[in-house]
Amino acid sequence: MKGENNIRLLSGNHAVSWGVKLARPQVAPLYPITPQTPILEKLTEFHSRGELDAELLTPESEHSAMSACVAASLTGARVFTATSSQGLLLMHELLHYASGARAPIVMFNVNRTPGSPWAFWPDQIDSLSQRDTGWIKMYSESPQESLDTVIQAFRISEKLSLPLMISHDAFYVSHAVEPVALPQQEQVDSFLPAYKPELRLDTSLGQSFGAPIDQATWNRSRRETAAAMARVENEVLETGKAWGELTGRSYAALEHYRTEGAGVVIVTMGSMCGTVRDAVDALREQGSAVGLLKVRQFRPLPVQTLRNSLAGIPCALVLDRNYSPGMGGILHQELKSALFAMDDAPRVHGFLTGVGGVNVASMKIQQLVTEYADAEPSVDSVWVE
Amino acid sequence: MDMIDYPDGEQFSPGHVACAGCAEALSLRVILNTIGPDAIGVVPPSCTAVICGGYPLSSVSIPVQHTTLENAAASASGIKRSLNAMGKPDTTVVCLAGDGGTYDIGLQALSSAAERNEDILYVCFDNEGYMNTGGQKSSSTPLNAITGSTPAGKLSRKKNLVEILAAHRIPYIATCSPAHLSDMSAKIKKAESIRGTKVIIVIIPCLPGWGVADDAAVKTARMAVDSGVFPLYEVEDGVDYTMTINTRNQAVNAYLKQQKRFRHLSDADISDIQADVDWGWEYLLDRAGK
Amino acid sequence: MDRQPSPLWTHATTKLRNTGTWRSAMPEYRTSLSPCLGACPVNGRIAEWIGLLKSGDVKGAWLTLVDNNPFPAIAGRICHHPCEAVCNRQQMDGAVSICSLERHVGDIAMSEGWSLPEPEAVGKKSVAIVGGGPAGLSAAYQLRRLGIKVTLFEQHQQLGGLLRHGIPSYRLDKNIVDCEIGRIIDMGVEVELCAEVGDHHALQKLHDEFDAVYLATGASRPKALPVLDYSKSWVIDSAEFLTVTNAGEPCRLGQNLVVIGGGSAAMDVARTARRLGRSVKLISLEPEHLLPAQKAEVDEAIEEGVEFVTGAEMQSISKDGDSLILECMRIKFNPGEERGRFTIDPVPGSEFQLRADAIISSIGQDADISRWQSLLDNDGTVVNTDNLWQTSTKGIFAGGDVASMDRFVTQAVGMGKQAAAEIGRYLGQLPSGETGANTSQTGFSDINTHYFPPAAPNQQANLEVEDRLQNFNEVQLPLAEDKALAEASRCFSCGSCIYCDNCYLYCPDMAITKLQRGYEVISDYCKGCGLCVAECPTGSVVMLEDRQG
Repeated sequence: MKGENNIRLLSGNHAVSWGVKLARPQVAPLYPITPQTPILEKLTEFHSRGELDAELLTPESEHSAMSACVAASLTGARVFTATSSQGLLLMHELLHYASGARAPIVMFNVNRTPGSPWAFWPDQIDSLSQRDTGWIKMYSESPQESLDTVIQAFRISEKLSLPLMISHDAFYVSHAVEPVALPQQEQVDSFLPAYKPELRLDTSLGQSFGAPIDQATWNRSRRETAAAMARVENEVLETGKAWGELTGRSYAALEHYRTEGAGVVIVTMGSMCGTVRDAVDALREQGSAVGLLKVRQFRPLPVQTLRNSLAGIPCALVLDRNYSPGMGGILHQELKSALFAMDDAPRVHGFLTGVGGVNVASMKIQQLVTEYADAEPSVDSVWVE
Repeated sequence: MDMIDYPDGEQFSPGHVACAGCAEALSLRVILNTIGPDAIGVVPPSCTAVICGGYPLSSVSIPVQHTTLENAAASASGIKRSLNAMGKPDTTVVCLAGDGGTYDIGLQALSSAAERNEDILYVCFDNEGYMNTGGQKSSSTPLNAITGSTPAGKLSRKKNLVEILAAHRIPYIATCSPAHLSDMSAKIKKAESIRGTKVIIVIIPCLPGWGVADDAAVKTARMAVDSGVFPLYEVEDGVDYTMTINTRNQAVNAYLKQQKRFRHLSDADISDIQADVDWGWEYLLDRAGK
Repeated sequence: MDRQPSPLWTHATTKLRNTGTWRSAMPEYRTSLSPCLGACPVNGRIAEWIGLLKSGDVKGAWLTLVDNNPFPAIAGRICHHPCEAVCNRQQMDGAVSICSLERHVGDIAMSEGWSLPEPEAVGKKSVAIVGGGPAGLSAAYQLRRLGIKVTLFEQHQQLGGLLRHGIPSYRLDKNIVDCEIGRIIDMGVEVELCAEVGDHHALQKLHDEFDAVYLATGASRPKALPVLDYSKSWVIDSAEFLTVTNAGEPCRLGQNLVVIGGGSAAMDVARTARRLGRSVKLISLEPEHLLPAQKAEVDEAIEEGVEFVTGAEMQSISKDGDSLILECMRIKFNPGEERGRFTIDPVPGSEFQLRADAIISSIGQDADISRWQSLLDNDGTVVNTDNLWQTSTKGIFAGGDVASMDRFVTQAVGMGKQAAAEIGRYLGQLPSGETGANTSQTGFSDINTHYFPPAAPNQQANLEVEDRLQNFNEVQLPLAEDKALAEASRCFSCGSCIYCDNCYLYCPDMAITKLQRGYEVISDYCKGCGLCVAECPTGSVVMLEDRQG
């Protein structure tokens, strides 16, 4: 590998903290919540050891944490925060505000079931229910990817003036310890230019942000957001490539795993991708042409790339670790919508797998492939025991 | 006659859309010019938000972030920390919030900022209700006052925010009135000289909300002070109380009677309010050691 | 980094927005009349000069004073000060002691030796003034200021009239009279002393020689009581008594004196007699509260031991050896509609006697008008004048006691001033016609009393009674400097801008701009709230309906 000289055993959350430290944020408002807390604690540890030169503040809620993020970002600082589940939901109002303000905040969310009833298991409904808040949303599969993505996130977000949220699954990623290659500080510094926005809360400029606005201007602001959103996928690709040149690990909006000549492609996000890789390998060994299409960038949804990726594939199975009551799996809905009116679209089956954090074993996935590869799909997502 | 003394300046521009005769606009003029150009403002939804805007125009020379209703103190913290990170720790960060955004929905964030003793100046324009939404009650609305959501008069007392803040032991809390502009300016100046969380509560008689004449905001504020309904005082470090004016020269009756929101009060109601005000006054004098 | 979206950030100020269109009324700065000005016999700009005094500009205060009255030190001692009776501050905690302040300023002017402003050079027009009392001197002063050649004819050896001969020194020191008259003469007024203009021929001669004549001969003929025989050695008229005593000549009257009359002159007589060691009883028709003399004079007379027998009439006199027995009776006094038109009703069975060695009659003086009979019309009491103070003979003007029943000194000064203006117009030295006079009055409700904390009046003290009776020293003591300043600061300056900046600093809309001296409303921004008016301490801003467009 290029440039690697430091491999450590890190949990997913600590990998995030290392990535954040290397990205040199200036302000980090943080509020604890299981299972995000190790991110916070590692950052405060770095800070107390003088290894992280940032203003850390610990307000009384995630709402205030995100409020401080927005304000600090508008003042021109590089900003990071992390949360999970309830915390993310409490931030909801400010997520809209942040994207409306085009504040390039980077936030890490640890996917966890929201109450009620109370639980602490991996489930992506917390972040997926923030789908329409105007943030770039990315999902990470592993500690290494979480570290790599959080660094890339600052570059993407700041370049496009859009806030960016990365999620990884509770425990499966957040607390799973794996060897993680740490880039060197100089590498990251060369990759990530300092944040210097032209417009900011600055006494030498005197311009104000957020004053009441008329209909047409509000409308225009969302069109500008749309224009920026349209550039995200390419930016993710470029940034992922540049990161690859630096570290040997390239990224894009989607990742194909053994999809060449596949009759069935499994589409999913987050930690489930690891299990799917195992199932794909097992099925390929058995002679089934099966592959994985991993959705790394969920918002904006890379619609055209998805269509290109799935054109001519006979069957796609979508695995959702989330449930939108009344409509089923969210990725399932999104994919059906993305493939709208496509002549050579695959038959799309949706499965509600792992909702509430239940384990989805490789064998289960293999069974689903066998069972549904040639079946007629239903419109509704199918609950999987 | 004592001359009014506050810095003349251009930090607040004419052409703003405050109601004619608005004491909040007047107070903004005093406060912004006292603070001067090296400051960043934080304005949650409120009359001040309307007065500062609207896009693309601004009536204030300093940059302002228009935040959400409940997060002025948190936003100010974010700005302050950002300025610290950029090596500009001396720039004042000032919240200009209403009582809804302070006593009610913003109290949590304010309490948190106060607990962290963030280096911010928080000004609450207390017009005793949600006046920008047409006049509904807040927890700052006084007992018996008629508002859009208390058509028969509010059944509970006004929240004592100063005491809540004093319990945080922040370095400086003060009350101000638009009838005492020199004092207002002096208190802002004093607050600016102190590091940490400073809170200044300004009583703002709302012309339509309280039902007073266009030219009577200052007079009404003066009566609020003179009757002891809204005493002017300072609390330092949460424990050192100083009365700015330690005499009262009128009963609450005249103050109440000239406002539409109190016009329904019976004599018994008025004596109850008088008793409450008397109690509060004695309490303050006692705290101030007078 | 890419360019950020711009439309979300403000990029101009609200100065572009014209909120002036909102208003229906707009403040206007204007100097309104203070009640004191309206009441002042010389229309002195009282609020203005007290304002200058307050600000430390004593000279400015004095120059403002002498614009209307060349006698501040005199008026500050003897003016009946109707200004104080109407002072708005009376409704709060007592009228401003205007008269004492005037004396304060007048005294400083004397001790500093200030001269009256240099008048215009003498031109071709000439005026003769007959009578060197307050009215004549006031007219001479004002006419001289207009560049008119003035010749003053005085029948006595000295100028001053009543000021010199009628008012005792304990009320008005003669040095003050000399000083304030001297300043007028120094302006270049020609004076002919011992020059009596005794009849209509003499007056006609002046009329022929001068472009105009001002007649101000006063009221020098004593009224007589029918029951008194003025030829008796034990009867004397007050004017004669005062002339003699003011000149320092000895009093030949006995020990027990009765003064008849209730006016200012009666008080002067009684109090002078007390200073000469006499016992004095004063009989008046009026009850004490209706005495024509000023209350302070009555009070001081009582303090000095004058015994008042009010509501009584002397009906006859008999002699008991060297002593006189005055037969008196209680009466009911009915004040009439106007001054002097009273009636009396004797109270049956209320007869009583008084004993005395001599009687001083002090029931007033009439003007000697018969001498001009063929030249000037009269109404039997005074010379007739029109509203321009012109008599029935064109070019002859009259004022003061010869032409009016208003008998206070400062009223005479005011009449002299008015006549001078009319003569000035008559001679073409002043533009004719009325100037657009401002008639709006400032009432108590126009004052924002918040800006005037309660403060009791600072009144001048009087000499202790025991120190008064040994001499003719002035009874009224001057106000101390600090008291005078404190008193000046009690003045509301009704209707006059005091440049306190309240209007400017209280404007929520930054819609008032400061001028070099004063303020201006910025029409583009003023929303017409009226806060500037409400917080103006002095009532010198008013809201006026605004007909925009």
